[in-house]
Amino acid sequence: MTELTAPNVVASSTRSDRRRKILQNLLRGERPYMLYIAFVILLVVFSLSSPWFLSVDNFLNIGRQTTLVSIIAVGMTFIIIARQIDLSVASTLALSGMAAALAMSQINNSWIVGAVAGLGTGALVGLLNGILTTQLSIPSFLVTLGSLSMARGLAMMVTNTKPVIITNETYFAIFGEGTFLGIPVPIAWTLAAMIIGILLLHYNVFGRRIYAVGGNPTAALYSGINTKRITTAAFVLTGTLAGLAALVLSARSHAARPDVVQGMELDVIAAVILGGCSLFGGRGYILGTLFGSLIIGTLNNGLVLLGVSSPMQLVIKGAIIVAAVAFTKR
Amino acid sequence: MELSGSGTAEPGTSTSLVMVSGINKRFGGVRALRDVNLEVRAGEVHALLGENGAGKSTLIKILSGVHALDSGTIEIAGKPVEFDSPAKSREAGIAVVYQDLSLVESLSVADNLLLGREPRARFGFVRQRALMARAEAFLNELGIPLDTRATVGSLPFAYRQMTEIAKALMGEVRLLILDEPTSSLTSDEVRILFDAIGKATRRGVGVIYVTHRLNEVFEISQRVTVLRDGANAGTFVTAETDMKRLVNAIVGTDRSVSTSPRVEPAAKRQLDPSPVLSLSNVSNDRLRAVDLSVLKGEIHGLAGLIGSGRTEILETVFGLRPLESGAIEIEGRRWLPKGPADAIEQGIALVPEDRHVQGLVLDHSIERNVTLPRIPHFSRWGWMQQRAAARRAETAIARLSVKAPGAFSLVRTLSGGNQQKVVFGKWNDPRPRVLLLDEPTVGVDVGAREEIYAVIRNAVRDGSGVLVVSSDLVELIELCDRISVIVNGRVARTLARGEIDDAEELHHLLQMYQASGPGQLQELPA
Repeated sequence: MTELTAPNVVASSTRSDRRRKILQNLLRGERPYMLYIAFVILLVVFSLSSPWFLSVDNFLNIGRQTTLVSIIAVGMTFIIIARQIDLSVASTLALSGMAAALAMSQINNSWIVGAVAGLGTGALVGLLNGILTTQLSIPSFLVTLGSLSMARGLAMMVTNTKPVIITNETYFAIFGEGTFLGIPVPIAWTLAAMIIGILLLHYNVFGRRIYAVGGNPTAALYSGINTKRITTAAFVLTGTLAGLAALVLSARSHAARPDVVQGMELDVIAAVILGGCSLFGGRGYILGTLFGSLIIGTLNNGLVLLGVSSPMQLVIKGAIIVAAVAFTKR
Repeated sequence: MELSGSGTAEPGTSTSLVMVSGINKRFGGVRALRDVNLEVRAGEVHALLGENGAGKSTLIKILSGVHALDSGTIEIAGKPVEFDSPAKSREAGIAVVYQDLSLVESLSVADNLLLGREPRARFGFVRQRALMARAEAFLNELGIPLDTRATVGSLPFAYRQMTEIAKALMGEVRLLILDEPTSSLTSDEVRILFDAIGKATRRGVGVIYVTHRLNEVFEISQRVTVLRDGANAGTFVTAETDMKRLVNAIVGTDRSVSTSPRVEPAAKRQLDPSPVLSLSNVSNDRLRAVDLSVLKGEIHGLAGLIGSGRTEILETVFGLRPLESGAIEIEGRRWLPKGPADAIEQGIALVPEDRHVQGLVLDHSIERNVTLPRIPHFSRWGWMQQRAAARRAETAIARLSVKAPGAFSLVRTLSGGNQQKVVFGKWNDPRPRVLLLDEPTVGVDVGAREEIYAVIRNAVRDGSGVLVVSSDLVELIELCDRISVIVNGRVARTLARGEIDDAEELHHLLQMYQASGPGQLQELPA
């Protein structure tokens, strides 16, 4: 075996290499700092133009408003890194919420039953998306376009479009209205999803494989990676997180409604792309997604505070998203 | 006899159509072309020969405007031209038919021929009848028997290729370049193709015909230019030369034998006679009753033309291609490959043909790439042991002397040779039982090639069995203990070291088997 000629030099250079890499993973992925600059500019502009913007309460508000998008965007990050897309997340959320509420109303009004039913339904939709995409080789765009429609339709069918009231106080406390270590639980759940996402993507075997499958599916296959199973797992993760978002939403509104969050998948995808994921796969990071989602949340919040009309909000939001992606693109 | 330069072959007969003089092209540190000359006359089929990496593709890409030249000139009908884009080359009358076709499969032959220049009525509507008529008239004039209404996707391959050639000939074409047009054609289809070429040359079009098949050269070309290591190795009048001389020019009699310490021939190394891999009667869609064995510590070569089934043998062993009948044994135990993961579990490793597509994730680091086949080995309870992974990458970099700033450098930033070493790095630890190599040194500079040879030799010294596919016959002769000749999905013959002396002889043998089919040829040509 050939030995390293200068082990100390090599080791120290790789140590700083490694530190740089971890920093890269957590802070900026492989993109420049544009994302953070954009976020700071946004904060400064809104702080200067609205007296109500810069306050703890308002930031908690933004946090709460972005919860649903942020939680699901964690899963979407995995999907987009793996070169897939999931358009069905908003419908999955609606269906999971109905499942949770109905299960509770049928079985002992138990919050555990509700949670399991909600998460399980989300996971099941994800599993179906994954299996159809990988086993039948249908592009996930089409598969999830179909399940977007089917899941929403099912959510409406089960109660004939009526909402289901939830009465379990523990459920409200755990998922919607309580606090955990002083943090409102929706924000706590968001942080939990983020941390799990970071661990899975950057420190787990699963994340390695996701990056490889998205970076070059053929090379991943030739390296013995079960690309179908990995892709399916990403869909299951995303579906489950849509289920978690459904629990948070229904606990906050004390009811599950079949027509909630229509079109939210676009905000989720925008957050992930803003956050630095490449639509061509193989590149992206969770913290970027968090900031992407915060930018969208801050935009929504700030434009309301400035009294911008809601049609105009849509126009400005869309333009800023496109501009931000254009600037952060390398 | 060899003629130096071009133009002296048949002085004064016809005027030169395209004159390429003194072309140089460099890719990074590699000199792809050195003072290359080529002259093509109107109405001539000019064959362009050379091994993989000899510079044929680079020359074609320069003529077609894909690459810019570093120095040298191109003249068309006496006028100097400069191409900075494929469109410019096309404008000058040069049309290229590549191996991978550029047709829209869902459209008809006529639609494809006139794509982008459809006869139009007002408001951009296509005059369908006029389009059909024009396409038909053109094909009749060329004498190419194609149904203009047929959907291209439904046509057999040869007819698609003819459509492609016809398309290339639409408009003002003076030079037609065909890049290995027959590699996937049957002999009947080759006939049809040659007819079409003949019709083109009768119209005064000059043709550059790139091929690996020497028998075709004698059939269709008037002159031949051979490239070797990026330089001219001779231009010949086809009628005045023979296969032996061409092979000499292609292979080169002066190519120096490797300078690195070479492994003694198998006999002296006292190979363990037990095979680590054996295939008996292995058949599937591309292979027909393949019998083959690789001994422990042996380098076994697979020689054959592109499309002969060489690569498919490796793919079948690696579980990428289903085994339909026959048996595979690993160290004497019967084993049915279920997929790459299963093959890796058995200690089989594959360095695939196309490292960019199959071997590497280019936008990822060296560390990510080398750990890819054995991710679970660098984890505990599913969590990555970042240090172990980084150490693995550092060892691979040191052992294979990959020239890179560090373990986290992106693979895309490395040179071809270093990228290939990273692919080897995926498999060097633990030592594979069977190492499958597909064109291990394509696109690799000379220095890195020697280093890769050393890696291969180290692997067999440590007891791996190696099965290597290569189009570089010198490489096969240099490396292998035995060489199997593959023709049409079969092993036509297995040669032991000593039965064959040099690449030239092997080249002859391949050509003869290809021309006559396996089994019919008894003696080696003189």
